[in-house]
Amino acid sequence: MAFRKLLNRGQLIPRPVRRIAQRVLFFLSIMGPGLITASADNDAAGVATYSMVGSYYGYGMLWVILWITVGEVLVQEMAARMGAVTGKGLTDLIRERFGVKPALLVIGGLVLANLGTTAAQFAGIAASAQLFGLPHYLVVPLAAVLVWWLVVHGSYERVEKVLLVLSLYAVAYIIAAFRVNPPWAEVARATLVPTIKWEGGFMLALLATFGTTMTPWGAAYMQATVADKGVKIKDFAYTRMDVVVGATLGNVVSAFVILCTAATLFARGIRVEGAEEAALALEPIAGAWARQLFAGGLMGASLLAAVVLPLATTYAVCEAFGWERGVNHSFGDAPWFFGLYTAMIVVSALVVLIPGLPLFQLMWLSQVVNAVLLPAVMVYMLLLANNKEIMGQWINPRWVNVLSVILSLMIVVATVVMLVDLIF
Amino acid sequence: MTTFLSQILGKPVWDSTGQRVGSCADILVEDIASGFPLVRAMALKNGNGEPRLIPAESISWLAPSIILNSVDPPPYEPVGDEVWLAKQVLDRQVVDTDGRRLVRVNDLQLVRANADGPYCLGGVDVGGLGLLRRLGVANPTARLYKVLGKRVPHSIVPWSEVAPLQAQEPLRLKVSRDRISGLRPADIAQIVTELDRPMGEALLNTLSTETIADAMEEIEPELQASIIGTMAPEKAADVLEEMGPDEAADLLGDLHPSQRSRLLNLMQDEDAVDIQKLLSYPDDTAGGIMTTEYATIPDGLTVGEALDHLRQSDLAQEDEALYYVYVLDEHDQLLGVVGLRDLVLSPADRPVREIMEDDPITVNPLQPQNEVGRIVARYNLLAVPVVDEQKVMHGIVTVDDAIDAIIPTAWKKRLPHFF
Repeated sequence: MAFRKLLNRGQLIPRPVRRIAQRVLFFLSIMGPGLITASADNDAAGVATYSMVGSYYGYGMLWVILWITVGEVLVQEMAARMGAVTGKGLTDLIRERFGVKPALLVIGGLVLANLGTTAAQFAGIAASAQLFGLPHYLVVPLAAVLVWWLVVHGSYERVEKVLLVLSLYAVAYIIAAFRVNPPWAEVARATLVPTIKWEGGFMLALLATFGTTMTPWGAAYMQATVADKGVKIKDFAYTRMDVVVGATLGNVVSAFVILCTAATLFARGIRVEGAEEAALALEPIAGAWARQLFAGGLMGASLLAAVVLPLATTYAVCEAFGWERGVNHSFGDAPWFFGLYTAMIVVSALVVLIPGLPLFQLMWLSQVVNAVLLPAVMVYMLLLANNKEIMGQWINPRWVNVLSVILSLMIVVATVVMLVDLIF
Repeated sequence: MTTFLSQILGKPVWDSTGQRVGSCADILVEDIASGFPLVRAMALKNGNGEPRLIPAESISWLAPSIILNSVDPPPYEPVGDEVWLAKQVLDRQVVDTDGRRLVRVNDLQLVRANADGPYCLGGVDVGGLGLLRRLGVANPTARLYKVLGKRVPHSIVPWSEVAPLQAQEPLRLKVSRDRISGLRPADIAQIVTELDRPMGEALLNTLSTETIADAMEEIEPELQASIIGTMAPEKAADVLEEMGPDEAADLLGDLHPSQRSRLLNLMQDEDAVDIQKLLSYPDDTAGGIMTTEYATIPDGLTVGEALDHLRQSDLAQEDEALYYVYVLDEHDQLLGVVGLRDLVLSPADRPVREIMEDDPITVNPLQPQNEVGRIVARYNLLAVPVVDEQKVMHGIVTVDDAIDAIIPTAWKKRLPHFF
């Protein structure tokens, strides 16, 4: 998911927090920060998707996670390599090579997808409020104001630690999964052998799962940070390592959320339609407190993402068009920046307040947009990454191209099947 | 008589008999150094294969349609210094030296003074209208403005105010250098920070050592270290010598120890010694943020002698701000401080002792930075001297460095630069 990358690069985590985190997870000295970011990955959209998938299809979709891990490594590595070679961001390269229209299309797509994901975060906040028995019509506007205020007044860093610790709740899924002790042989088989149901619902779930992890935004973000950090291509081996470890850890946590919901809910015939049921998956570890653990964690992870996503998106858009940006400008100096940032939060929060809107479905459906957009952006990425003039000796190896095309085709086929099935 | 590049690219090209000979793929102008470079040639694409170059003399009109004045124009022989507008300038970043900012080329304006004069490159469209024109919706938008009774906002920067940036072409960058080196250090720093790294580093490397040093002081530490890393060690050492010792020490502190000692070895001894002293204090203490360049006078002078002394003194020359003059005895112990204002306004024969503050506020080298900040703020100081237990003076902390600690870090520094 998009904002894992924000955290992954350590840009937004103040050093002391990472130190504390490392102390807490000292036994995972290398994986410590990775695991935290991997858990923070399981924001509202992620947890909703995996809970839904696990409760509807049992272990049946674990194989997707395996493919996604490969896909994420592929896309992120390609983006990071382009960032290291050119020192430029993805939309920057697209604009310079292909002109205004494609750049605008890609940026528009990114904004749309991130708007959806931000709305999913507010839906997560609403769902969590309901679990605590609070009226979400009150909590969501409050959260929106809080998020806006925290960033504009620069006091976000102070609460970030709390939010990060809260989002560690995803680790509980791993422990819970081991407590339930699922049939490991079956789990292993389901992970390695793909099973596909040619129906709209399955395809929708498949796309949502893809969209939580393998995203155009993730690639754009990765490339921007690598370029920004000034990673030199000769030191690229470390970055590549980072990409592989980050993607693997993130997806291990995702797999355990699916595994845990499958073992607890699917086995009992419970289908997750809302946060209420999703919380039950944590019963093996938290017992009667499952609901509170889930609600607290969901709230933390959602708030964290609700802060980071609109900010990063707005920043990206303003940079691409050369508008003044950054919260240390005044509104008059940077009208586009503040306007867009505020609009993203207001729109996302308002969408969630529409009466009768299925919150939980919104959370995971938002991810479908991410997945559907990927093949289009992938075309540009492949054109760029295979251009000798841009990449020199660092162009894509053939197998990367082949795998990328296969994964993109998987998404296209799933999209077509879904549309055909939903329309007819 | 103006037309835009976006309006000619891809348009059919007709010869004098009305025969279609291909479509316009690019416009080539002469070397970018001149104020408004003349169009030299047009690249013509016909089906697949390499574009054909047609000399500017053979072009009758670019707008409303592209018409040549002959049937089979002679080919244009490239000299090698041509700039391909669509390929090398359009959609790239350039520096608007008048507005002192980095902008993106949304469109390029081609002008001709009279109906059969030569076409030349007039300016760069950096505004929203340029973007809309690229999307083919500029005219409806312009009409909308007219309906609303507002003036259409044009934001065209004349080419003479533009410094193009091409990291791969150092020659062209040198031309831009002259336009850019006239900017203020803080503006240059801002532009370098906003550019992508290879380009920012390439740009900075074309500037003079003094300009680099001034700009470096305004750049955030992480980027500083990266830029120093890309320079030849000798040049890096020169830049470090030009920087204030406090800034140079901060920068060196961020480098790898082996790189640090290599650069220190290349630097002049006196600068290197100062910096090494500064490096021995922790970052967040008075010693870590102080500078060793400050003006001093010996004890027992009159005001006139003191001013003469300052004019001769190297230390006073290097003092960036020179708010205060410090009176030291022969063991460098601090006796007092006198404001430059008092010195200038007092009669020349008055002893300095009579006008100096003999119990100045001081901090010790290991005092935390935020304490120093509070002291500076409470007593409204412009700089505070750093002295040890023996009252020996080691440096001063200026107000800008002191208050950094108590003003919250700007968000911007924490955010990555996207795209």
